[in-house]
Amino acid sequence: MPPFPSQAEVEETLKRIQSQNGVQGIIIVNTEGIPIKTTLDNASTVQYAGLIHQLVMKARSTVRDIDPQNDLTFLRVRSKKNEIMIAPDKDAFSNKTSFLLY
Amino acid sequence: MPPKKPKSGKSSAGSKGKGKKIQSPAARDWELSNQDHPEDIFPMVLTSATQELFDCQADEDVTGESPYKLLEKDDIIQDIKTRAAVSDFSPVKQIVLDYPEDELLLVYDRDFTYGQSFYLVLTPEAKDRILNPPKPETPEVFEKEVVKTPEPKPWISLGSDKEIDEEAFKESREKLLYKFSRVRRKFGVPVCFSDRNTADAKDDYLECASYQDSRFSIKQMQRDCGMQAVPRLQSSSAQTQWKFQKNIFTQYTPRELSVEEKENILQLESLKNFCNSVTPRVLQALQQEGIMNVFFDDWKALGTAADDGDWAGKVSEGLMLYQAFTDQKYTKDKKICSINWHPTIYGVIAVALTEKKEEQLNKSVVRASFILFYTFSDPSNPQLLLECPDDIFAFEFCPSDPNIIVGGCINGQVVLWDISAHVTRLQGTQPGKKVSVNTDACDFHQDLDDNKENKTPIVHYCAVSALESSHKAPITDVQWLPTTFEVTRMGLPVENMYNISAQVVTCSPDCTIMFWDVRVSSLVSHSASERRPIMDQKTPYSVPDTFKHLDRTWKPLFRVSLPKIDTSGEYAPLKFNLEHYTCNEANENGDSSKVIPDYSQLRLPSAKTLKALEDVNTKLYIGTEDGEIIYTDWKLGKDDSGRLQSAKPLHCFSIHHWLVNTVQRSPFFKDIILTAGSWNFAIWKEGVMDGPIILSAISEQVCTVGCWSLSRPAVFFIGKEDGSIEVWNLLEKTNEPVQIHSHVTNAKITCIKPWAASSKQHFLAVTDDIGMVRVFEIPKTLYVPSRSESLNVKKYFELEEDRLKDFLRREELWEKEKEAEELKKRRTEPDKPVISLVENEEVNVKEYNDYLMLEESVLKGMGLWQAPADTQDN
Repeated sequence: MPPFPSQAEVEETLKRIQSQNGVQGIIIVNTEGIPIKTTLDNASTVQYAGLIHQLVMKARSTVRDIDPQNDLTFLRVRSKKNEIMIAPDKDAFSNKTSFLLY
Repeated sequence: MPPKKPKSGKSSAGSKGKGKKIQSPAARDWELSNQDHPEDIFPMVLTSATQELFDCQADEDVTGESPYKLLEKDDIIQDIKTRAAVSDFSPVKQIVLDYPEDELLLVYDRDFTYGQSFYLVLTPEAKDRILNPPKPETPEVFEKEVVKTPEPKPWISLGSDKEIDEEAFKESREKLLYKFSRVRRKFGVPVCFSDRNTADAKDDYLECASYQDSRFSIKQMQRDCGMQAVPRLQSSSAQTQWKFQKNIFTQYTPRELSVEEKENILQLESLKNFCNSVTPRVLQALQQEGIMNVFFDDWKALGTAADDGDWAGKVSEGLMLYQAFTDQKYTKDKKICSINWHPTIYGVIAVALTEKKEEQLNKSVVRASFILFYTFSDPSNPQLLLECPDDIFAFEFCPSDPNIIVGGCINGQVVLWDISAHVTRLQGTQPGKKVSVNTDACDFHQDLDDNKENKTPIVHYCAVSALESSHKAPITDVQWLPTTFEVTRMGLPVENMYNISAQVVTCSPDCTIMFWDVRVSSLVSHSASERRPIMDQKTPYSVPDTFKHLDRTWKPLFRVSLPKIDTSGEYAPLKFNLEHYTCNEANENGDSSKVIPDYSQLRLPSAKTLKALEDVNTKLYIGTEDGEIIYTDWKLGKDDSGRLQSAKPLHCFSIHHWLVNTVQRSPFFKDIILTAGSWNFAIWKEGVMDGPIILSAISEQVCTVGCWSLSRPAVFFIGKEDGSIEVWNLLEKTNEPVQIHSHVTNAKITCIKPWAASSKQHFLAVTDDIGMVRVFEIPKTLYVPSRSESLNVKKYFELEEDRLKDFLRREELWEKEKEAEELKKRRTEPDKPVISLVENEEVNVKEYNDYLMLEESVLKGMGLWQAPADTQDN
């Protein structure tokens, strides 16, 4: 049981998402791409964090280059076997991004 | 005869020598020195008398090859003494007397090299030398010398020091010495040197300029100059600018936050806000996933795989006639019993013709039986004829070498042909190829009969089995064993070393199945060689001798008999089918080579060297004359007395009521078998011992033949007696055919064989009772399999299997129930029968009366009531 109430909320949110049908795992990373919280094993987390972070940066910069007022809200990468959903934080310079595997 | 010319000289010398001893050496010396021969031999003439005396007659005792004759010294002295001056040896008398040894060598000088016909060797050394010429030095000596290290020897001057002396620099005069000194008073004073240009002052130097003197010019013809070979080395350096610095290797570890940092971040308010804001989006995305899959194309999935897009215009649904083949000369009054497509050449069909009339005894009008080869390019003339000793009921191409054909005769013999000589003729009829007919390969037989090139060549059979060891009844089915295994004499399956098909299985209604091998057996070879001269005389035509070792002596490897399961007697097989064993190891390696072996060179491997294969399925499905389908094992087992015996069949089912004419395995599933015979057909699954999994309804016409489609697992064709073909598709309709092509021909259909010529052309060859072959093109709908057809068919068969099992189980249950009921009934029945009968009567009468009253009331109500005549009218 997490000792702090806000932590409990985060946990609860994660549980909500995790309980959806077909979700394999969730990773929360900060702006630098370092994983903060994860439900997968360490090796996969690190691999995903490293790879996806670059993709998100590229996508975000693409969107903002085209229209500086615009911003990336959601990114879905669909492959043959699964789909990766990436949700960056609203604030461009905030330090959280989360993505999950589906 | 030796020349007589110098004899006078000799005899005179001899007479001289006899009397005056002093003169004779001189005379001898003079003779010897005047003549051009070595000093230690003496040419002499021997009279024929002397020759006879000493056994050295020219060209008789001594010849050019052996000219040496050793004469005893005593004999010569004796001769000299007896014949004195007349003796031919008188000139050499002194030498002979002085000769240290006892034997002198006389050499017959055939070529008169020394002037006379004989010469006498005067010294023992010369004799030794002539008799034993010195042998050439052996290289042994040479080797011994090389082994020793050479010893240092003092330097022998060969003249090179002169050259060195010439080239060397030597002082020609003494060195000049100049000593400079200053006057005493300037001693110790610093010296002052200055430069002076020689050009400034005149006469300071004398110049002796060189000029070309026209009076004399020498051309230098030779010049000595020193040379030294030096390898050319060049070194250079370059420096590049590393403009774009790129890392080639990087090793990294991921950055991770420590546990405390993670804890800290997790507590932050911002994280909570972030989660709250992001979560709805994520949930919406997940929900989308759950609702529908946006990437799935329903339209595409709806269409079948056949929708390739090249359906231009109408596409026919049924079989279209592509070509019909017939030949008036050979097919009159004959029916076709067997047909095969050539496995490699496009568009070549072979058909076996047999007499149609049933009376076999009347052999007065015997026409030769043939197997005809038709090609697509020439529908009315056969390209090749294979001559058979008798009518052929079944034949097959060898899967490893399509030039070898085996056939089974009506008299029980097995026949082999080799058509490699005529393959070019068959190939020449391929579309787009023009190959000149190979006339030098044509038979000698052909030249006798017809001189034109366009007459069909007739190939005589290469080998026929021995009459006493063949079948006693017509051979109805012939199959080659696959390349994956072979059998030994003991009836055991062993591995096939060369991956070729060299063994044949035949069956016949004489209740046996025989296994044959076409290779030369080590046991048979010596007896075959004895019989070979006889065979050479009998075969006048130029027949390929691939199977000469087998002709007329061919015996089967072993026989399998088919005893009946429950009664005595045997089954009479008509058709059979074995499972093709596929082994996974090493066969794939061999496939790439695809070298067609020369069958005449093959030898039967010794059974001990081959590895026995344990997992070969040795069971056969056999269809018999009486309509039974038997499942038996052809492996021979040992019975009580130790002899090899065929096992009793495992199962027997009487499904068809008459002759079984087809037993064929599905090309897609190795355990599904189609059998056809009499008025129905059945599909069996190997392993299901209770009966066929699918049994068709009894049809009006006799099913004469059935065959699976080569490309669709659910489609098969059935031919009927009235000349119609039914196309069945198990996935569409299971109780009736999908298509019926009635009256394809007027006669009974005897054979159907499909063939996939290319991915766009599939043919179906249909033969009938009057000798015609029709080739149909199978439409796309019938040869392109539907999606996952094989899986669906498999499921269907499993369903049927389950249904069958279920049905049988229920039958058993019903049987049991019926028995139980009958028992119960019998127990309670003796009381009831009389009562129940009477009761029934009463009930019936009552009902009838009720009915009459009802009828009365109804009719009265309708006003139609008529009093019945039998009611009492007052």
